Amino acid sequence: MTVLLVLAIALAFSALLNLCSAKPLHQRVSTFILAAIIFAFMAGFLWICWFHWQIYLKMPLEVPIQLIDWINRQLEMMNRSSEYGLQLYNASSPPRYKIPLWIENEKYYFWFMCYGIMAFGAHFRVQSHRFRALLHLFLAAQVVILYLWVDPFKAPLPQFLNEIAPWHKADQSLMAKAGYFLRLYPKMVFYYNAEYMWFHPPLLFISYGAITIIFITSVFMLFKRDLAIEKMGYEYAKLGFFMLTLGMLLGYPWALKAWGPNWWWDPKICSSLMMWAVFSTYLHTRLYANKKTMWYFTSLLGIICFLAMIFTFLTSFYFPGEHTFQ
Amino acid sequence: MKRKSSYDFYLIIATTVVLFAISLISIYGMFYFKFAQIHQMAPPLKIAYMNRMNEVVAPFIICLILLLGICIPKRLLPIVWLHRITAILLTCVVVTGFISGVKAGLFFMLAASLVLQIIVLFMVLIGSKSLHFHKKGYWVRLGSSLIHLGLIIFILDLFLYGHKTYHLVLFWVTTGATILGMVFCFYAESVVNFVTGGKQVSEESLM
Repeated sequence: MTVLLVLAIALAFSALLNLCSAKPLHQRVSTFILAAIIFAFMAGFLWICWFHWQIYLKMPLEVPIQLIDWINRQLEMMNRSSEYGLQLYNASSPPRYKIPLWIENEKYYFWFMCYGIMAFGAHFRVQSHRFRALLHLFLAAQVVILYLWVDPFKAPLPQFLNEIAPWHKADQSLMAKAGYFLRLYPKMVFYYNAEYMWFHPPLLFISYGAITIIFITSVFMLFKRDLAIEKMGYEYAKLGFFMLTLGMLLGYPWALKAWGPNWWWDPKICSSLMMWAVFSTYLHTRLYANKKTMWYFTSLLGIICFLAMIFTFLTSFYFPGEHTFQ
Repeated sequence: MKRKSSYDFYLIIATTVVLFAISLISIYGMFYFKFAQIHQMAPPLKIAYMNRMNEVVAPFIICLILLLGICIPKRLLPIVWLHRITAILLTCVVVTGFISGVKAGLFFMLAASLVLQIIVLFMVLIGSKSLHFHKKGYWVRLGSSLIHLGLIIFILDLFLYGHKTYHLVLFWVTTGATILGMVFCFYAESVVNFVTGGKQVSEESLM
């Protein structure tokens, strides 16, 4: 993370110079630093993959042999009253954690890495040095946020490790071990190992990256009528809308499975639908952007779309409900 | 990009206004959920809250469904006929709603939209030139038709929420249509290249 931070500070410095200058400055250097940041991000992501693989290999929920029959009886009883049952414990293949690569602090890392890759693509598609500077400044700000508040390398998966710490304590009574198993196993199945976890969140984080690019193009469009930038913004809008719609749709059957029917009007669902509505309005009004007023209206909607995304993300912290991080 | 003063433009503005109203209701719902501590209430009280919010949002959802119903025939008909058909459709909805209830009226509108959209999709598939699309190109039109079909089926699917078997099957049909539609609509050029194996393609199939 320190390497990333140093590179980000250098990129931010170059971006500020370019933002204030009428002519492009040190473009090759900033391109090189940007490429180095993407490389460092990807190397870090590979480390996260390795870390999760180690959790899968070395942290199975192994139950003492005397408890197996009792636990399976409990699981059978639980399964009788539920539509989606839990698999019985099998001593030859104990349940293992398949933790997705985008939970806890790692979600910020994945989100910002997606933005970084998209910014790298946008950097080569648009020649305007001020536009590039804005892209770089955003990336630098995201790296600073990662370093200061949500570093996934300093304290990886704190909540998860906290949850399973009692399980690994020595000298536990058999009943305590059984109690922990019955608490950890359902969460493992319905949350950590849920197949939808591999689609629903990452698709949304990719769309968040694309919406950040749309925001930068929209801010730029307010000051300059540059068709090339508007066109590029639309390319990212298409990708973002595609990912957002698919991600939200894939959340629907998961919600039915995990929560049953009583989750309509959950704050996160409300804000997500609102963001989707703003985004689809942006895509529709963009068709009329050749008119001066509609050009600015479309830009404004692009900015509102980004604000709606931030609002939707923060909803999980402030509002209670099924998606809460509180 | 399109000219501003068209039938489409006003429909888009109307849809934007309705979506904005729904967004405001959603924000109200979120704050109410937090401050009334709905999440800590017993299930019957939670259900009462959901029903109350459904009642608040219902008029706007009705407007949205009516707008959707008005949007669909514009692909099939010239502007003069469009007004007449829209008037007939709305009259039928009001009459059905009056006789059998609002839900039946809306169901009629959705069913009519579904039939019309399937006709549009069929005509797009056979490459009909008589459709009124602003966008040109076979794949873009096919994509746009599939997205709108997915949207209609999704709303129709919400009516069938109680029927668990149909509900999830229709949901996956919606997802399939929407995803295919977005791929065709947003990435028409790549689709054409994929279909033709990268051979030279006509301008018409891409625009």
